[in-house]
Amino acid sequence: MSQLPRAGAEAAVREVAPDPETLVTRLEEVDYLADEGLATAMFLSLRLPQPLLLEGEAGVGKTEAAKALAAVLDTPLIRLQCYEGIDAAEALYEWNYPRQLLRIRLAEASGADVAEEELFGAEYLIRRPLMRALEHAGPRPAVLLVDELDRADDDFEAFLFELLAESTVTVPEIGTIRATHPPAVVLTSNRTRDLHDALKRRCLYHWIDYPSPEREVEIVRRRVPGTSQRLAVEVAGALQRLRASDVQKPPGIAEAIDWVAALELLGVDRLDAAAADRTLGSVLKYRDDQELVRAEGLDALVEAGHG
Amino acid sequence: MAELDLPALAAALGRRLRRAGLPVTPERSARFARALSLAPPASRSRVYWTARAVFVSSREEVEAFDRVFAAVFDGRIDPADARGDPNAPAPPGAEAGKRAPSPGARSAAPAPGALRGWATASAQRTGDAETDDEPEREVPVAAASDRERLAERSFASLEPHELAQLRRLMAQLELATPRRRSRRVRRSPHGEHIDVRRTIRASLRTGGDPVRHARRRRRTRPRRLVLICDISGSMEPYARAYLQFLQSAAGGGAAAEAFVFATRLTRLTRALRGRNPEAAIRRAAHAAPDWSSGTRIGEALKAFNDRHGRRGMARGAVIVVLSDGWEHGDPTLVAREMERLARLAHRIVWVNPRSAAAEFKPLTGGMIAALPHVDALLSGHSLAALEAVAEAIGADT
Repeated sequence: MSQLPRAGAEAAVREVAPDPETLVTRLEEVDYLADEGLATAMFLSLRLPQPLLLEGEAGVGKTEAAKALAAVLDTPLIRLQCYEGIDAAEALYEWNYPRQLLRIRLAEASGADVAEEELFGAEYLIRRPLMRALEHAGPRPAVLLVDELDRADDDFEAFLFELLAESTVTVPEIGTIRATHPPAVVLTSNRTRDLHDALKRRCLYHWIDYPSPEREVEIVRRRVPGTSQRLAVEVAGALQRLRASDVQKPPGIAEAIDWVAALELLGVDRLDAAAADRTLGSVLKYRDDQELVRAEGLDALVEAGHG
Repeated sequence: MAELDLPALAAALGRRLRRAGLPVTPERSARFARALSLAPPASRSRVYWTARAVFVSSREEVEAFDRVFAAVFDGRIDPADARGDPNAPAPPGAEAGKRAPSPGARSAAPAPGALRGWATASAQRTGDAETDDEPEREVPVAAASDRERLAERSFASLEPHELAQLRRLMAQLELATPRRRSRRVRRSPHGEHIDVRRTIRASLRTGGDPVRHARRRRRTRPRRLVLICDISGSMEPYARAYLQFLQSAAGGGAAAEAFVFATRLTRLTRALRGRNPEAAIRRAAHAAPDWSSGTRIGEALKAFNDRHGRRGMARGAVIVVLSDGWEHGDPTLVAREMERLARLAHRIVWVNPRSAAAEFKPLTGGMIAALPHVDALLSGHSLAALEAVAEAIGADT
């Protein structure tokens, strides 16, 4: 609550994203097709600036959104993959112990002394993603992707948020490092647990849905150049049916692209039952799911597209 | 769009969203104002997406947001009109918005069953069903003697006031799952790992020879506890007591995840948290639309596995299913979903209040299907029996 209002985004960011429409165009230039809702959320996240929390089924393009944002800003994407038990040493920084020990031995051998300040200096620091994001030299901010935050413990969540709100990190041995260009932050969650309310309050939020069939056709044709419209439409139709079916792991956009790429590679230009049979492994990754779909009949999966 | 009174609109939106249960803070309202200045409201959809990114923070809130947004933005409410008394009857527009048919609006429908009746009656008695701030109602008790009197009584035979006393006793049940090792570490003189950072620092004084080994050990953390409770017709005599049990598990120190199901699965974790247990239980009773209807155990388990379990909630967790196993659906689905669950979970405890009867045999279709995947089958029909359940939850095997 007592957060100081920030000055707004820097000029370099304003230039990249003067309004949501321009951001949509820029994202399209890097082959990411964002709908109005996502583009507005990304725009606001850049310009307010405010971290953006993205949720959605696996494979709807949460991570891709962050990558596209980095591409648009022409800055590095720094990714922090969360997991149970992740701590500051893995997320922020760690000392390079082998080098420190070598240094001590070297000093020992030459009969010299090594000062503690030297040993715990910047040279011996291993920078983990959070620190790299804060130290990014600019001129535009780096994009920090905190992936699957729900897998981390809740105390890590609190630690992360304090760090991002302050945009500073204190290494006891070195001092305080202040970000000159605080990163644009994208968080994703798969909702295995509720994130803390305090965190949600500080974030903008967007739920990414599966793309509409028309958009999926566009995405697929963009990502697998040379795909015929007809094949893309047939695949998009089959994917709709798979997502509505009982499979445990509904295919995401990545699977759609894999599938079309596999069909292309085999020289298939129409999705029929035989083609689906040969390539089912690129779209359904669980044996149970494949069995289920085969039991219901591959004809049913591809049929409607031919009707 | 030009003639739109944006400040008034923003204020009305914020107020109505708060009334609809969204966590609208002044901070968020200020953010919305700034957002509007960055992305000028050129179209309805622009304002919609801007407001949604700012005010909504989970998918579940989208529906309520849409309803309020439509009511405010489409001019069915005069923003100036809503400034007065929050208890004044809502303008007709708002009511129309609320009544808009939507799949999630089922909570408004009257639900059958004793528990729902209890929830409503109790809400009327205290005036306001939702507040967390009301003082707890006094239940005249001397806890020790109550414990004695209630311990062996079947939940099905308890009077309402006894149930209220029971809640306090349940809150004393200690629900501690076995601990699992986490990756976090802490200093410990006899820990099994060497703390390199501190060792190096110490070895400076000994010429680089790590003479003294600073040690650390992994922290442990309790496994997640997930309770899934059957609230179908056949479980009705126990539903109220079990809901209290769920509340003390979810709202108390165990921080359990709580679900109920009859025909569909409802997550109650959020509803059950809060300072006032009575209010939490009422919220929960309202949150589930299918009290006392038929049972679809297999589908409920499938919904749990698909939506939560597979994403990680069940992984390594202790799962407690409270159900008599009367399955209206297909028992083979129960078997399949229990198998999936067993692959993910650390331990599955099944609580079947009918198993307390001496002549009990697990003959219901759902129970037979589930049994091979269950680590412990307990009755949990009385307070004493629930203590056995607490013990099974903590068992470290």
